[in-house]
Amino acid sequence: MSDTTFQARLMQLVTRRPVLRIGLIIVVLLILIINHLGITLWKLVEGAGNLKRLGAEALPPDFSVLTERAGWAYPACTYESDFLCSPAVIGMTQTIEIAILATVFGMILSLPLAAMAATNLSPPWLAQSTRQVLAAMRVLPSLIWALIFVIVVGIGPLAGVLAMTMYTVGYLGKLQYEALEGVSKEPLEVARTMGLPRWQVARFFAIPEASNALLSQMLFMFEYNVRHGSVIGLVGAGGIGWYMNHYLSPFQQYDKVLALIIVLYFVVVAIDQISLRVRRNFIDGDAEYRKPRWRDVLITRDVQG
Amino acid sequence: MVVEGLPRLRFSKASIGFVGDTPLIVDVEMTVNAGEIVGLTGRSGIGKTTLLRTAAGLISTLSGTVECCCTESTRAERGAIGLIPQRLGLVQHQSVGYNVILGALAKASLLQTALSLPNRAMRDATRDAIEAVGLSDKTLESVNRLSGGQQRRVAIARAMVQNPQLLLADECLGELDAETAREIIDLLRSLARDHGMAILVVDHNPVRVRTFCDRVFQLRGHSLIPFDEEPADRGSTLPLVKEDSA
Repeated sequence: MSDTTFQARLMQLVTRRPVLRIGLIIVVLLILIINHLGITLWKLVEGAGNLKRLGAEALPPDFSVLTERAGWAYPACTYESDFLCSPAVIGMTQTIEIAILATVFGMILSLPLAAMAATNLSPPWLAQSTRQVLAAMRVLPSLIWALIFVIVVGIGPLAGVLAMTMYTVGYLGKLQYEALEGVSKEPLEVARTMGLPRWQVARFFAIPEASNALLSQMLFMFEYNVRHGSVIGLVGAGGIGWYMNHYLSPFQQYDKVLALIIVLYFVVVAIDQISLRVRRNFIDGDAEYRKPRWRDVLITRDVQG
Repeated sequence: MVVEGLPRLRFSKASIGFVGDTPLIVDVEMTVNAGEIVGLTGRSGIGKTTLLRTAAGLISTLSGTVECCCTESTRAERGAIGLIPQRLGLVQHQSVGYNVILGALAKASLLQTALSLPNRAMRDATRDAIEAVGLSDKTLESVNRLSGGQQRRVAIARAMVQNPQLLLADECLGELDAETAREIIDLLRSLARDHGMAILVVDHNPVRVRTFCDRVFQLRGHSLIPFDEEPADRGSTLPLVKEDSA
């Protein structure tokens, strides 16, 4: 087969098959990007050597982080037990506490904002401007929010709570307004025909209608906040990341850091599993929906009975 | 404030449809009075629901006027109009009690709604309405777990608690069996008789709607006419009953 014939057949194949054409474009694009970023295979090979050295220093993990008392912990640990005052337990507890506070505060702040941002509940000018506010809060990742709040309120868990809350509001707010926009329009029309103001339409019709999705999103956000709680600690905003940073800089005790990472991994997996089971109650099986107890908020016992 | 003796709903030379489109119905002339059940029938997609939503103030008329409870419908007194949409508009995954007490929101004070604290009268009205529709044992049941007929009763109980001057019910009999439909009809009749409610019922079944409504209108072509009146333009729509070609 001559070159000309081969090229012609190749061109024919590429032009006739859109998948091939798109695939070819993507491959060319990736090569250009890799070239532009100066990424070479040699750097990867060099990195493998560093990984080997890091592995040698980190292995085996030093689980003394679970038994030694962290006298340098902030805030100071007052328990008698060394285990309870160990860096791993204090750090993990702080991370979970920060995640709980940030999720709850974030949910409280994001829900009214989400109702204001939902186009089926608010006038377009309000929905659009609220969306801009939520987008602005999402622009900065939680790590940058943590840096800002460490400067504002100093090192410690407060900076972490504030940073995670800000990010939670931006992120959860977006998920929530999408859930609110997805509710059936008929209950909302019933409310509007009754002449109810917008906030009552949202509070008593749209939010309860979307409550399963909202609760599921809140649990997802809690998982996310636990995972990211380790990152914000690296800049001094509390949590297990702060203790990791203590071992990394300046001591470079990778074996202890690895032990903390393993502890974090098991806690995150456990929380994921618990959260998944709880969320299943709200999202699985139309016929077997478990209803959240909104009724207890509105109807007192004598009506229910 | 409702002026006694005046109709609760009045369409005057109203053109109904969506902005930018050709009107679905033109020159609508219709009134619904207190204590009266008026039926509206016609084939699918002809504009029955659109007319009902216009009466509810959810859609504006293209021309002409619609007055609800002696005011412009978009500015009707709070709680004066009640709506039972085709799919009932119940808040899903919430209890029967929750859905029924929502009818009381229109008359609740700002403090009561802000704190979610209904007063005794609201709670009593809710309990009475649930009892009247025969769902006392289902008060805490999620509406998703109820049958179609039971869900319709919940929507009617919500309307009873709201006690509007004008109730708009869209296909509230749906495809119910005869016995359940009869129960729902009895409930509607009691609302009109005992509460003096003006009720506009949309039903695709012309035979059924004539059995319980005081007056019946039908949509044919682009016109709204009394049920027994022959339309001017017979060719613009399908006949309701198959006619003998001979």
